[in-house]
Amino acid sequence: MRKRPGIGAIHKQRVEQERFRGKATELQDNVFEQMTNQMEKFRTNLETFASKHRNEIKKNPAFRKQFQDMCASIGVDPLASSKGFWSELLGVGDFYYEIAVQVIEVCLATSPRNGGLITLGELRQRLIKARGKAQHHQEISNDDIIRAIKKLKVLGPGFSIVSLKGTQDTSDILIRSIPGELSADHTEVLKAAEAQSFTSVKALKSTLNWDDVRCLQILNELLRDGVAWVDEQSPEKMYWFPSFFKPLMSEDEIVLPPPN
Amino acid sequence: MEFSWPWEYDFPPFFTLQPNLDTLRKQLEAWRKLVLDYCRHNKIFVLDVQESISLFQNKAIDRQLSTEGINRVLESLLEYNQIEWCDKAKKQCLVYWKNPQEWGNLIYRYASDKGMTNTVCTFYELTAGDDVQNEEFAGMDQSLLVKALKTLEATNKAEIIMFGGNEGVKFF
Repeated sequence: MRKRPGIGAIHKQRVEQERFRGKATELQDNVFEQMTNQMEKFRTNLETFASKHRNEIKKNPAFRKQFQDMCASIGVDPLASSKGFWSELLGVGDFYYEIAVQVIEVCLATSPRNGGLITLGELRQRLIKARGKAQHHQEISNDDIIRAIKKLKVLGPGFSIVSLKGTQDTSDILIRSIPGELSADHTEVLKAAEAQSFTSVKALKSTLNWDDVRCLQILNELLRDGVAWVDEQSPEKMYWFPSFFKPLMSEDEIVLPPPN
Repeated sequence: MEFSWPWEYDFPPFFTLQPNLDTLRKQLEAWRKLVLDYCRHNKIFVLDVQESISLFQNKAIDRQLSTEGINRVLESLLEYNQIEWCDKAKKQCLVYWKNPQEWGNLIYRYASDKGMTNTVCTFYELTAGDDVQNEEFAGMDQSLLVKALKTLEATNKAEIIMFGGNEGVKFF
């Protein structure tokens, strides 16, 4: 007769299993502890790095971006609060807060003209112009502006970032400062109109392969939103977009109050 | 110094009355500002509608405001008390880049600065005399001057007087 495992054997098995599980947990704990130590080391190194390169981070937008990416990769957000270690170390929190406030001001000032839709390029130009001498050595990049706006988005639905090319390439980004999402169709029309700052039903039909009805509907919605104006003195009705209209960008009128 | 045209002036749709009401409102506001700024810059006190057509067109972009458009702009200016018709036919209007009260105050300040109170001075002196050449009211249209002085009369700061065929004013 084959020998069946006896109670002793089962018991022994169980003890061994326990020992294995214990070991596994111990291993797990070990790994976890090691990871935590690593993170701590990493974080300390990052802090040391940040304080050593503080000036560089403040002055150089490319360097600043790399630093931000580094932080993000280990889950550290220097912008999370305007108080605390990071902002004190770098004054970075204030830096972005200030940009965010100025972005709001520029958008408010220009929205009567462009229906609350401004290109990132124009926004940056106006910010730089308005920031004045005191801050001129703190160069701001498109990336800085986008980060500041993303912080704003956390506060409410007022701001959205519209990418015309679906990439993070900042040359085709629009900032919308009026609530309400732009539909994909709206974005297609904006894309089509961007180069010359105008378009027409005919042009849209050929570029996007839409029918008359769809073209007209979207264009009328953009008219209704104040983003487009109509010109009836050309052979075909033309729809113009102040957001892309170059001469508008060289207007010197808009002046922001100096920061405190 | 050359007049600096606003960005809208080079924007073709600016010369088409906009169908969207909010946009139309902004458009009319921009036109009102353009008319006032242009008149202020060129010291135009009286606008002749026919003669000022060039203000409502931009040859460089081959666009012009239609008659209906021009009328809308003028109506809007009237609504905001920024013009006043000189005639029933609506051919000419006074343009109030300063309104009569503001003019009255400016003239009164000039008069008191020059120690002209309690003396009489003619309308001619006030608008065409040598002394006033650098003043903003130099060359002012007479009907506007009278309106300005009447606002001063209302506050007892001046009195319009006719003497020997000349029209003049005494400041107090």
